[in-house]
Amino acid sequence: MQITLGFVFGFLSSIGFGIVTNNPKRTLIPAGWIGAIAWVVYIIAGWYNHGVIVPNLLAAIVIGILGNLSAILVKAPVNIFYVPCLVSLVPGAIIYDSMKNFTLGYDKMAAHGLVKALTIGMSLAIGFVIAEAISNKIYPPLKKYLHNRKNV
Amino acid sequence: MGDFDEKDVVTLCGQIGRVLLENGAETSRVEGTVEYIGRTVNIPIVCHATMTAVFVNSEKSATTRIFKVRVGDFNLQKVDKINTLSRQFSNHELSFAELKEAVLEVEYDTSDFTWWQKWLGAGLVSVAPMLLFKATWFDLFLSFFVGIFGFIAAQFVGHHSKIPYISVAIGGVTISLLAHVLMNLGVASDANNIIISALMPLVPGVAMTNSLREIIEKNTISGLVRATDAIMAGISIGSGVVIGQILVKMIMGG
Repeated sequence: MQITLGFVFGFLSSIGFGIVTNNPKRTLIPAGWIGAIAWVVYIIAGWYNHGVIVPNLLAAIVIGILGNLSAILVKAPVNIFYVPCLVSLVPGAIIYDSMKNFTLGYDKMAAHGLVKALTIGMSLAIGFVIAEAISNKIYPPLKKYLHNRKNV
Repeated sequence: MGDFDEKDVVTLCGQIGRVLLENGAETSRVEGTVEYIGRTVNIPIVCHATMTAVFVNSEKSATTRIFKVRVGDFNLQKVDKINTLSRQFSNHELSFAELKEAVLEVEYDTSDFTWWQKWLGAGLVSVAPMLLFKATWFDLFLSFFVGIFGFIAAQFVGHHSKIPYISVAIGGVTISLLAHVLMNLGVASDANNIIISALMPLVPGVAMTNSLREIIEKNTISGLVRATDAIMAGISIGSGVVIGQILVKMIMGG
């Protein structure tokens, strides 16, 4: 149940942010799929690990690998897939919460939230670096294959 | 070859870099694309991009141009179009003159989704998957509409005011007002959940992650600029929400 709902809403929210950031239409559906899969990975990782680092890291690796794959298949810059898929993972709400505490004068909670936001952001960024390192090894043969098939 | 000189190439490269950077491409991609175009026409070009300016320099005769950049919202359609153009150009499917024309066209292109599609998109983002099992279903249903109103307010202010950060702050005020009014009327059960969920289209989470990615790639300056930008946007949203909360308390009591 949790996975099905997570899949549906991950899909919808990725597509929604794709529309807000004016993604090209042909990239919306792949971005939605990647966002949904990443969210399911996040949920499942969250069952076995209660920190914030591992679920975000794994989800970012999934987004990175699938994003690079669809960048080759759809022929679009990879950032186009990263941005909408990230939206449900990123620590936006935490940044907002910490800044609200800052405005209200709760400095300790504000600092705690900011550090947490940085941790999440850092684990996502490292996930992307790992994914890119993997993709750079895996995908060039695929690219060559696609190129040859088109020329034949 | 032959229908352009070095100055043209440098200018065009700067334009391309500016369009890419203004619409949300990462700095390494901007530098890569520009230098690639230079290599295609056999002019060695060095490009240095930060979030505030693009420097393009041709090695042959030391022609340098600086382009100022004001980073705005994401518009990934333009990034994709420029990417396609530069790919066609490097495959010699486009001549230099055609590329120049096409880049200008992209720069002033305003094609976008229709307004109701945008609003629907903002509404969909406002139902945060993060809160699926923390908030009640009815609260999430409400946050769909609250998020749309916040997004409309932010866009409206953004079109009419050039002051930075004011648009997201007004978006925060609107969302906070609506959420607290709904809670005071007894319609919603938790205003905070609605606010967090409805703020999803406005909060700078993606910017924060992109800034950390830039820092990891050693583009430290761009990363720090993006991070500062994200924190400033966070502060304006946070204070906007607090102002909305105070306003509701003053008017409705409670």
